[in-house]
Amino acid sequence: MLKNNEAIIETQNLGKTVPVADGDLTILSSVNLTINEGESIAIVGASGSGKSTLLGLLAGLDSPTSGNVTLDGTELTALDEDGRAEVRNKLVGFVFQSFQLMPRLTALENVMLPLELRGDKGAEHTAIALLKRVGLEERLHHTPMKLSGGEQQRVALARAFVTEPAILFADEPTGNLDSKTGDQIIELLFELNKEKHTTLVLVTHDAALAARCQRTVHIDAGKLT
Amino acid sequence: MNRLGLALRLLKRDASSGELTLLVLALIIAVTSSTAISLFADRMHRTMSTQAAEFLAADLVITSSSIIPEEWVRKAEELGLQRARTAEFSTVLIENDELLLAGVKAVSNLYPLRGELKTTQTDFEQETVQQSGPNQGEVWIDSRVLAMLKLAVGDELTVGETPLTVSQIITYEPDKRGDLYSLSPRVMISDADLEATKVLQPGSHVHFFYQFSGEADALAAFTAWVKPWLIPGQRLMDVQEDRPELGSALSRAERYLGLSSIIVILIAGVAIAMSTRRYSERHFNSTAILRCLGCKQNDILVLFLYQFVILGIIACSIGSILGWFAQEALFELLRDMLPAKVAAPSLIAVMLGFLTGFAILIGFALPPLLRLKKVSPLRVLRRELEPLSSSAWIVYGLALVLISGLIWRYTQDAKLMLAIIGGGLATAALSGVLLLGLLKQLRKLLPHVSLSYRLGLQGVLRNPVASVTQILAFSITLLAMLLSFTVRNDLIQDWQQQLPTDAPNHFAMNILPDQVSQFEQYLVQQAIPAAQIYPVTRGRLVGINDVPVQQIVSKDSQGERATHRDLSLTWGNQLPSDNKTVAGQWGEAQMGEVSIESKLAASLNVGMGDKLTFSIGSEQLNAVVAHIRTVQWDTMKPNFYMVFSDGTLDNFPTTYITSFYVPKGKKKVLNGLAKQFPSMTLLEVDAILEQFKTILTQLTAAINYLLYFALLAGFTVLFASVNSTLDNRINEGALMRTLGANRTLLNQAHWVEFSIIGVVSGLIAVLMFELVSFGLYTYVLHLDFHFNWLLVLLTPIVSAGCVVAAGLWGVKDVANKPPMWVLREVT
Repeated sequence: MLKNNEAIIETQNLGKTVPVADGDLTILSSVNLTINEGESIAIVGASGSGKSTLLGLLAGLDSPTSGNVTLDGTELTALDEDGRAEVRNKLVGFVFQSFQLMPRLTALENVMLPLELRGDKGAEHTAIALLKRVGLEERLHHTPMKLSGGEQQRVALARAFVTEPAILFADEPTGNLDSKTGDQIIELLFELNKEKHTTLVLVTHDAALAARCQRTVHIDAGKLT
Repeated sequence: MNRLGLALRLLKRDASSGELTLLVLALIIAVTSSTAISLFADRMHRTMSTQAAEFLAADLVITSSSIIPEEWVRKAEELGLQRARTAEFSTVLIENDELLLAGVKAVSNLYPLRGELKTTQTDFEQETVQQSGPNQGEVWIDSRVLAMLKLAVGDELTVGETPLTVSQIITYEPDKRGDLYSLSPRVMISDADLEATKVLQPGSHVHFFYQFSGEADALAAFTAWVKPWLIPGQRLMDVQEDRPELGSALSRAERYLGLSSIIVILIAGVAIAMSTRRYSERHFNSTAILRCLGCKQNDILVLFLYQFVILGIIACSIGSILGWFAQEALFELLRDMLPAKVAAPSLIAVMLGFLTGFAILIGFALPPLLRLKKVSPLRVLRRELEPLSSSAWIVYGLALVLISGLIWRYTQDAKLMLAIIGGGLATAALSGVLLLGLLKQLRKLLPHVSLSYRLGLQGVLRNPVASVTQILAFSITLLAMLLSFTVRNDLIQDWQQQLPTDAPNHFAMNILPDQVSQFEQYLVQQAIPAAQIYPVTRGRLVGINDVPVQQIVSKDSQGERATHRDLSLTWGNQLPSDNKTVAGQWGEAQMGEVSIESKLAASLNVGMGDKLTFSIGSEQLNAVVAHIRTVQWDTMKPNFYMVFSDGTLDNFPTTYITSFYVPKGKKKVLNGLAKQFPSMTLLEVDAILEQFKTILTQLTAAINYLLYFALLAGFTVLFASVNSTLDNRINEGALMRTLGANRTLLNQAHWVEFSIIGVVSGLIAVLMFELVSFGLYTYVLHLDFHFNWLLVLLTPIVSAGCVVAAGLWGVKDVANKPPMWVLREVT
């Protein structure tokens, strides 16, 4: 188990540029950030400020053009994509703005999936328990198309926590929901976070939501401010 | 106008977003191939027809025993047809105390209108292609005449009462007739010398051949005009009708070229249907928004129809141009195998390709487009509301009618059309139901297999109807390919079996009965394989069930031709090995019975038990039809319309006929034969055979190249199908990888999914293939059908290999793009 006050995410001079027609466009530059185990941190910034890019790099979804990211002592930049996938499966959970459930799979199958990728034997049992926890015991065999937005995000939360990840990355988790449903989801998110002692990295432009985190970092034009 | 403007704007938007790329690509490939094939087939066909016309030395010939009315000649001139005339008669030539019965042919200036007349002056070396026949005062002769009459080039030869100078030795005469008994050594003179020979006297036996060539329309007009004026003893001949062996080869070729075209059209249709389906599904949401904004159902339909018509015009135009180049490249590749002069590409064929493409587009794109009309505006709130697709069945019916029409255009054959449509539909329906059942069973496997297998299986099972459609689409493609390969191979094998390298190249006729054993001995001595030798009595069919035959036969039919001349009548309880019984038994035929060739029987409306009356010399003979059989005319072996039971023709004068193969180096054997059996007539069929083989070789090449288009179209379907699910796959793949799945797992799942689709498609295809080919072989192509176990084993394996390879290639982006990038793309 990880110990408190130990850095679980560390970046050094993290940068991302993409080639465009007239040269390179810098999306992120020189980001140095340390996040401790069990901490909840909000990354806030305007649209296009680079916060989703930062989240992607922290989670190992993308590779930086400069600098490096270390996740629980593993330097992501030294790994290939399959290596990063393994780290994600062991350490990381995700919640997205647009839910990102597998449309072909039922709620239960969606939640089971990360466990099955690990090769866990009791995947079904664990997944059902968590779906009950998020209040969806009546919806186990529904496909995403047959679920409301709030229900879909609950499935996504269950999927994110089912592996008891060390780190949870959430990208505007309430962005596609009405405020009431959004509030319920946030409550659930923080409850689960507390229960599971997860490190939470939350990307949002909602100041109220950010305020619920222990720490807030601001990003503007690709730089932490 | 507003709608058109909006349609254009929407189209532009879709085009710039890459939405239409796959659809347009499928369309362009469809039109490219259909135009290329339309052009290619059209040019090949016209080239073949032109070459086949060599046999006639013209496009159209009127044979007549008298000079035709001046009015006919004027009509032909009026229509812009070229004319030539030959007059053929037999006469005895005497030179250097030698006597020879020769076939004289007096030819007019423009002869030959088609094909080439070749001569030499030095006995088979340095052949010269002649543009016209001999000049006045000259005579061209067969080398046999030279030898038999002890002549040399430059000597004088008297034909009738006119001395002419021997100036050339004929080595190739395009329209050397195939009716075996009229072949005597050739003596060719100019039409201008004909009168001076004074051979032609009132009542003398002359055959005139009025030859015409020109544009197809003019020929058709002339044929239509002249037909009613023909009297008994006059006959129209064209490429299709003149020689049974050539006609059958050509019509088979036509069928096969047509079949290949249909295959490409069908496959292209499937590709377009799949792309359009995808296109319309991607437009459900935007259509719902348009409906919300006040568009009526018909507005939506018109809006999309406008877009598709514009799209069709653009894609069909590009396709037509590419098709033009494709067929040009094809002819360039084939240059060495094709005749020096290939018929020019015709704009009509391009238009036909364009229209065919458009017809396919409308036929296959309408059903999915009609679904857009039914999109509910409520979908903006409830995304799960899918538009109904019930009426699509009616429209698919329309597509079916359209395809039937196309098949009809290409084949002109109702049987083939019904075999393809009926067999295809029945097996598709049956396979669809069976497949749904199979998928239901596969679902039971889900809890018992590992994750990658489960993901793969789920990929197939998630939408069973879509999977079945996909499997059937692959099956049709594979079925088409299987048919192309196997039917082609079998047809060629069949042709090659009929024409082995040692196919007979000589006919020996008029062998007297007391010479038969000597003749056979001679062949054995010369190590020439003894061929079957048949007795022949010449006789004419004059009555059927006591009704004079001329009252029964229809004009210009096979029956009419067969009753206008003496037939070679043979007898024996053993039939030629390639004859096949249609009705009755022949082994133990009774006296007075006859076996008749099936097509002639059909043309004469003669059945089992009918009484036929023959006129043989001055006598009449009755025989009862006890057997009906098919005859392979293109075997270069003696073939007979009528075979009598043993003993029936005993009292009539008889000669014998056979055919045999003499290798090129052993031609001297023929001189020995001719000397030993002076009364015998020898027919050298080498030249005809060579021409026949050339045609077959060229056709095979043409068929091969048509097949590559079918293959190309087949792979298009494969990629269209993979591409139509690519967005979902990338999305799902990205998600899976975000959750920690590695590439191996994703690839394994894809392997499983594509393997299932490939194997099942292969199985369905090979089973459908066996059914369809049974129908084709038995009822249409008249070849032997054999169930091919090896194919049943190999097809699913090869199919899985192809689908997996193409599928993995198609989904390579799923595993290769960083999940972050992919998630941003799709969200």
